[in-house]
Amino acid sequence: MSVITVDHLRKTYRRLVAVDDVSFDVEPGEIFGILGPNGAGKTTTVECVQGLRRPDGGTIRVLGLDPTTQAAQLRQRIGSQLQDSALPGRLRVAEAVELFAAFARRPVDRDELLARWHLEEQRSKAFDSLSGGQRQRLFIALAFVNSPELVFLDELTQGLDPQARRETWDLIREIRHGGTTVVLVTHFMDEAEHLCDRVAVVDGGRLVALDSPQGLIDGLELPSVVRFSTAEPDLAWLEKLEEVESMTRRRDAVEIRGAGPVLALVASELVAHGIVPRDLRVDRPTVEDAFLALTGRAIRR
Amino acid sequence: MSGYLAMTRTEFRLFRREPFSVVFVLAFPLMMMMLLAAVFGNNQADAHKIQNGLLVWRGVTPADYYAAASAAVIVAAIGLMTLPITLAGYRERGILRRFKASSVPPRALIAGQLTLALATSLAGTLVMAVVARLAYHTTLPKDALGVAVALLVGAVAFGAIGLLLATVIRTSRSAQGIGLLLFFSLWLVSGTAPPRAVLPTGLRDVGGALPLAHLVTAVQNPWLGFGWSGADLAALAAYAVVAGVPALWLFHGE
Repeated sequence: MSVITVDHLRKTYRRLVAVDDVSFDVEPGEIFGILGPNGAGKTTTVECVQGLRRPDGGTIRVLGLDPTTQAAQLRQRIGSQLQDSALPGRLRVAEAVELFAAFARRPVDRDELLARWHLEEQRSKAFDSLSGGQRQRLFIALAFVNSPELVFLDELTQGLDPQARRETWDLIREIRHGGTTVVLVTHFMDEAEHLCDRVAVVDGGRLVALDSPQGLIDGLELPSVVRFSTAEPDLAWLEKLEEVESMTRRRDAVEIRGAGPVLALVASELVAHGIVPRDLRVDRPTVEDAFLALTGRAIRR
Repeated sequence: MSGYLAMTRTEFRLFRREPFSVVFVLAFPLMMMMLLAAVFGNNQADAHKIQNGLLVWRGVTPADYYAAASAAVIVAAIGLMTLPITLAGYRERGILRRFKASSVPPRALIAGQLTLALATSLAGTLVMAVVARLAYHTTLPKDALGVAVALLVGAVAFGAIGLLLATVIRTSRSAQGIGLLLFFSLWLVSGTAPPRAVLPTGLRDVGGALPLAHLVTAVQNPWLGFGWSGADLAALAAYAVVAGVPALWLFHGE
């Protein structure tokens, strides 16, 4: 049975349609990504799913519950790391964990939680004095304080330095191994690509694609780009290969676009002609390329 | 229950660490009591002074009058300033959303705030009584239970008003401005600064209908041995209901 079922969800703010006819299912144990630019309706969607906002249309079931009428029951079983939220400035880390644990039906061990999210040294630091990364770690820790079956992480690596991001990714993977389902809202392409089992691409309030990261790329048959350099003047024979779509050349640097196994074919042709470039490499299409192709524009960073 | 206790403990910690509330809620009423009692004195001769056909000091000395009246000011300061500033700030910074998303119900927050308000009022009143006694040889509360009940009813009424302000005012900054304005307006017309007998008739009537004047009488009467004031307690209870019901409804709906 699905952990989340969203069916024809619709939410408007006055005249602005924030979410328009969005449907998807989230399966137990997966990391499900919701990817889109700022203002695409990602946060509105997950806030409706968590029962923090009332949808204008459609149905939602989370762990068999209706978030609009059974929000209190639901919140005992889910964890939530909200975007743009805060804690009282003078509340200390350990006190925050203590407070949130007091409202959990099945609280986790508080010391273990602080250790897991590397917050032991900050135990008695006030929320206002924490760095962005420490705050984010505290919010994630608080999302796990009630042993949730499902967690929502909204822009979880925002404000983290690259190393902290990688560490956070590892922890998210670890959480999934523990059996918790994760819904990850992000506008970072690499995050979706590295972490998610499946990704829903949202743009302008609509669901434009739903697949695994690799599936998104493969489904669009986006070209790979093969690059190498050679002094050989005539390479017209390469363009005759069926998989090669285009070839451009600037002095010795050659760039070939093509679909499917273009790298292997180009490489074998080069070798057959006695050309063995040292810098032969390929750039495979990424989720970012897929996103561009799907939405027709670059994501705002 | 454990949630309520944890929230109450948290709110006490935060209150203690917030100098603004400590200064305003506890130091201001105490300072004003000292000042006013010093100005008007503690002479039995003033007790029966009459102006505009009214007993200026309700038949007691000015110092006795202000010791009891200033205890009521503590409750008003919490309700009109601490509570709306705190709660509007919580909303503005996303703390309410954070709580709500994590099974921390708004009612636990409200219960914690009310407990804090009551405990602070009781402690502040105790300090007030002792300081006034030591400095001006005033009467200690004659009926402590009556004073405590008046403070409880007052804390609920001003708590409800503060909660209503917090739901209507969107930011912590405007809560500070509006809270200060309301607080000082009430303070000036409720017999807590000039005695109500010296106010012009219109102002006296308006002031008399406002909650702080009711709370002043409700606290003064048992303190000075005049018995409980049922009418003032009932008026405060009415304020609690009229402000509290829409406030709770609005606060929950967010």
